Amino acid sequence: MNDSIKDPFNIIITGVGGQGNVMASRILGAMLSRRGYRVTIGETFGVSQRGGSVMSHLRISKKSAWSPQIPRGKADVIVALEPIEAIRTTAAYGSPESKVLANTRPIYPVQVIAGETEYPSQETIEESLGRLVRWAKFLNATGEALLLGNAILGNVIMIGALSAMEALPFTRADFESVITGSVTADKIGVNMQAFDRGAALLKKQ
Amino acid sequence: MKDFGPARLAEEVLARGLCINCGACVSLCPYFRSHRGRIAMMFPCERESGRCHAYCPKTEVDLEAASRFVHGTGYPGHGIGQYREIAASRAAAPNEDSPVQSGGTVTALIAGMLEAGAIDAAVLTGRDGILPVPAIITDPAGVRFCGGSKYAASPTLSALNRAITEGYSKIALVGTPCQILAATQMRIRLTEQGHPDPVALTVGLFCTWALDYRKMEKILAARTDINSIISMDIPPPPAAVMEVRGIRDSHRIPLEEIRGAIPESCGYCADMTAEFADISVGALEGSPGKNSMVIRTIRGADSAASMIQKGRLLTEPYPEGSLRALAEASSGKRTRALSRADAAGMLNNTGESGSYLRLNAGTLAGILAR
Amino acid sequence: MSVLTNGKSGEEYLVMGNDAIARGALEAGVSVAAGYPGTPSSEIIENLARIAPDAGLYVEWSVNEKVALEVAAAASFAGLRSICTMKQNGVNVASDFLLHLGISGTRGGMVIVPCDDPGALSSINEGESRHFARLLEIPLIEPGDFQEALEMTRWAFDLSEELRMPVMMRSVTRLSHASGNVRFGPLPGAARSARFEYDGPFLDPLTGPMVTMPVPVRHKNQQEKIRKAEAIFETSPFNTYEGPEQPEVLIITCSACSLYSREAVKELGLGERAGILKLGTTWPLPKKLLKSRLAAAEKILFVEEVLPFLEENVMAAAAGFMGETGLKRFYGKADGTIPESGELNPDIVIAALAKITGTQYEPVAHEYARTAQEIASKHATVRDLTFCPGCPHRASFWIIHNVLELDNRKGFVCGDIGCYTLGLLPCGFGTLKTSHSMGSGTGLASGFGQLRRFGMEQPVLTVSGDSTFFHAVIPAMVNAAHHGSDIILALLDNAGTAMTGFQSHPGMPVNAQGEGAVPLDISEICRSLGAAVETSDPFDLEGTERKFLALLERGKGTRVMVLKQPCALSPERKGKKLYEVRVDPAKCLGDDCGCGRICTRVFRCPALVWDRDAGRARVDEVLCAGCGVCSSVCTNGAILREEAAQK
Repeated sequence: MNDSIKDPFNIIITGVGGQGNVMASRILGAMLSRRGYRVTIGETFGVSQRGGSVMSHLRISKKSAWSPQIPRGKADVIVALEPIEAIRTTAAYGSPESKVLANTRPIYPVQVIAGETEYPSQETIEESLGRLVRWAKFLNATGEALLLGNAILGNVIMIGALSAMEALPFTRADFESVITGSVTADKIGVNMQAFDRGAALLKKQ
Repeated sequence: MKDFGPARLAEEVLARGLCINCGACVSLCPYFRSHRGRIAMMFPCERESGRCHAYCPKTEVDLEAASRFVHGTGYPGHGIGQYREIAASRAAAPNEDSPVQSGGTVTALIAGMLEAGAIDAAVLTGRDGILPVPAIITDPAGVRFCGGSKYAASPTLSALNRAITEGYSKIALVGTPCQILAATQMRIRLTEQGHPDPVALTVGLFCTWALDYRKMEKILAARTDINSIISMDIPPPPAAVMEVRGIRDSHRIPLEEIRGAIPESCGYCADMTAEFADISVGALEGSPGKNSMVIRTIRGADSAASMIQKGRLLTEPYPEGSLRALAEASSGKRTRALSRADAAGMLNNTGESGSYLRLNAGTLAGILAR
Repeated sequence: MSVLTNGKSGEEYLVMGNDAIARGALEAGVSVAAGYPGTPSSEIIENLARIAPDAGLYVEWSVNEKVALEVAAAASFAGLRSICTMKQNGVNVASDFLLHLGISGTRGGMVIVPCDDPGALSSINEGESRHFARLLEIPLIEPGDFQEALEMTRWAFDLSEELRMPVMMRSVTRLSHASGNVRFGPLPGAARSARFEYDGPFLDPLTGPMVTMPVPVRHKNQQEKIRKAEAIFETSPFNTYEGPEQPEVLIITCSACSLYSREAVKELGLGERAGILKLGTTWPLPKKLLKSRLAAAEKILFVEEVLPFLEENVMAAAAGFMGETGLKRFYGKADGTIPESGELNPDIVIAALAKITGTQYEPVAHEYARTAQEIASKHATVRDLTFCPGCPHRASFWIIHNVLELDNRKGFVCGDIGCYTLGLLPCGFGTLKTSHSMGSGTGLASGFGQLRRFGMEQPVLTVSGDSTFFHAVIPAMVNAAHHGSDIILALLDNAGTAMTGFQSHPGMPVNAQGEGAVPLDISEICRSLGAAVETSDPFDLEGTERKFLALLERGKGTRVMVLKQPCALSPERKGKKLYEVRVDPAKCLGDDCGCGRICTRVFRCPALVWDRDAGRARVDEVLCAGCGVCSSVCTNGAILREEAAQK
């Protein structure tokens, strides 16, 4: 756990509508808030849920509230629930120092489905991100989530992986406490499994 | 072989109002559908080559290739076209309850051939109210329900496409000259691609024009309940009316008014007697109970002969004067149509812009000079 | 269980701006809350409704914003405190009543909260509600952060009671839909009781009738209240200043833009050179405060969204005291320093401030920015909006599109407001040809339907969602039916206000508080207007097309086609597949089929994927919602569906 983080520390959780992006940002925000940080979360949802890109900007500070939009080049960590959203967000908010954690499971834009444009290969995605940041890791969070029975758990797997990055001051216990207050009792176990799975996957890399 | 896509078809035929709703482009794909007498393109299709364009009788039609395929010789461009013999004909046992036109030749021929197993399906045109509806008939008893003139253009070839998909391999098609022309192009493409020719016999119907279904419906609906109409007929000149018989009432509609419902497309049609059919059948003017039967090909001749032999058809020599009149009318339609198409720059084009028809330049000159 | 009622006084909680507003209302002792759903405002009513039974409130989703405001006003007239929420364009709907309410005045504290959406993140307009405050002469306040969202809401009720007029508190997406740490205050004790006094003197604000006449007297009185508000605003703690006493640049800002401004000053290290005057009370302007701040600076930069409201009003006020403050150089939207439309962000403000102060700022190296831009435009296709997998609208528009193509008379559909507005995009096959305000589809259709006499032969269709129908379509339907307009309304009934998150509406058997309510039958309402009504399931493409064509071809006058199928995200449908769907790779001929990839290229369900390597279509099992409609779209029978086991 890393308790002496840059101030403000800027995290972006990015993905596509329906991936549980908002939920992930709120859980993360709640954990850091419990740790005594002032947290600001800017979310884009609404019509953008309908197949559009969805981003949450988290600003974490010991001192004060920050704007709900992170300035260009200032993202410290980008958690991408979808591969090309990792590229899009890093290009807009990243710098060589940003760390990127990305799910490998694509959700194709309708233009790709319609055959109007192509979706890049995983190699291209990794190569592209490699040109933008020094630190990028990929994991098949959706695949792992499906093994646990529900693709939506991909977001919790990513949070688990984020915890293993040790970039942020939160622990498994923080997660357990927050998730307990956020989901019904029967879902706590599988969320904990997803969290642990994510942490383990990242440590393996 | 012509090789263009649906976008060209939409541009050259649908947008120019040349579509006659023959149905050749229907039932091949999800994009072209016929609804109440009109062909609709449901969505843009990006294919660069398609059967829809290849089969269409209203664009890039090579009359020479069609003639060579059917008759083994170039497009003659005069009279009633290439033929072997012509006769006055009628069904031996006319069905009293069938709405057949004139002599009932076609109904007898097709029913007889189905019965004899010479064909495995007949693609015909039935009716739903006054809306012509394509039909695949395999039962000889079903043929007679498809008899009689329809007047409105019918997407009959959609049923031919379906029949081929369903695996029929000895199909008889009864259709108007444009439909026979489309079917000829279909057969050319299939055989060129190495498929067997699924069409065993084409029977063409004489045609001076068809009606746009929706305009016809409007004219009729203004006078009567269209669901109560039993039959429609245009008696020979000088009557100049369409007789509409209904359950409760009958009407005589001036031809003048009916002509307003003729699609633009018919004005460009050069074929009155279905010159690319195996057999062409029409009325025999002056003889209400008889048909004109033009035998054009060997297989047409064989089919007719077999039905005559089986006693289904009766024939007698064709009156000399009638042949002259028929050839005159046929030539007249051809010259009028091609003059119009020529003036509109729709013939034998080279380069970018497509052609409606292609034919030998000398033949064309002869037709235009007539 | 909700932090809104359980949250302890003096404790901090990480909550959304909309939650802060709701808590502020609770701390002020609100009794009645009403609104109409609209992003980004919906959560205020939603969250108050959830706790209403326990907290002793009455909370409703009203049929539209005007009625919501009337419901809230009634509570105020009876001496209770009330709040009314809506998205920006809702103010237009409510404005007729609001004009009159401003003159008649209110009794119990009454706060109207419009949530604007700069950048139109979830809107089809960039409407500004602030001008209504000036136009209708009521006070306007704007919180600058999450804490203020709570505190200003609480204060707004006191202000309203002090002035006896409604107070407008304007929020924006980046406050309403953002979260931050908020320190809660105490909740009040006993609730007030309701009684409408009307027997007093005609002009008595507390006991007389609530009317606008005599207008000359009451309008003058209203303007006196505005002057009183200005005096109060001069010393309001919500107007803050940070920076040097004699700044080189004075930033005048409000709302979320004050956060961007602070970030810009910090990012550029201009703490010694730039000052920020954050206004919480933005109409009427505290002119004395402005005068003293303007006197101390020469360069003034306005940072606000969307229209130059502060900019123009401050400049007008400054013209009045220019002799005392000296000449100023104004920067903002008028001179192009700040974009005239769209949402602002820290980068825009940084760039503006850097330009004015001659400061260098490069967020990332130039070369890096170029590479990043290149990579993003090459590989990160911008995602077009689309209907969700399993969305009934995709099926409905497929049918409507096909019906109009088959009909072949260039028929068209007037659009309306909801997820189905996307029907104008490829996901709805470009079916919609107009898109304006709530109910406008049917109103426009009613007009188009009268143009036969001028030679228009095109069939006229319109669409409406179930919630939109109640909101504003009914009057348009009445108009169409009464005048015999030749139109078809396709009622896309997906059983809820789906766009904004399944709020209740008058067609449903529950109200906002989750209690039983009288469901009104849309079909019966239409029938009572004399319209022919057909109902069909849009997932049955063939059957519905047939019914629709019959209605189009045989029907006359005002007709209604109800297309009934719940939203794929609705509580009753989400996570429950009707069918297990898969592509039979042996039957899918891919590019060799004559279909031109109609399933993926045209039908475009996000769950149907074109597998380039295999040259076949494939179902993405994670995304597929199991509606099974695509199996009717494939003409080769290659998409197979089996009824799913019901969980």
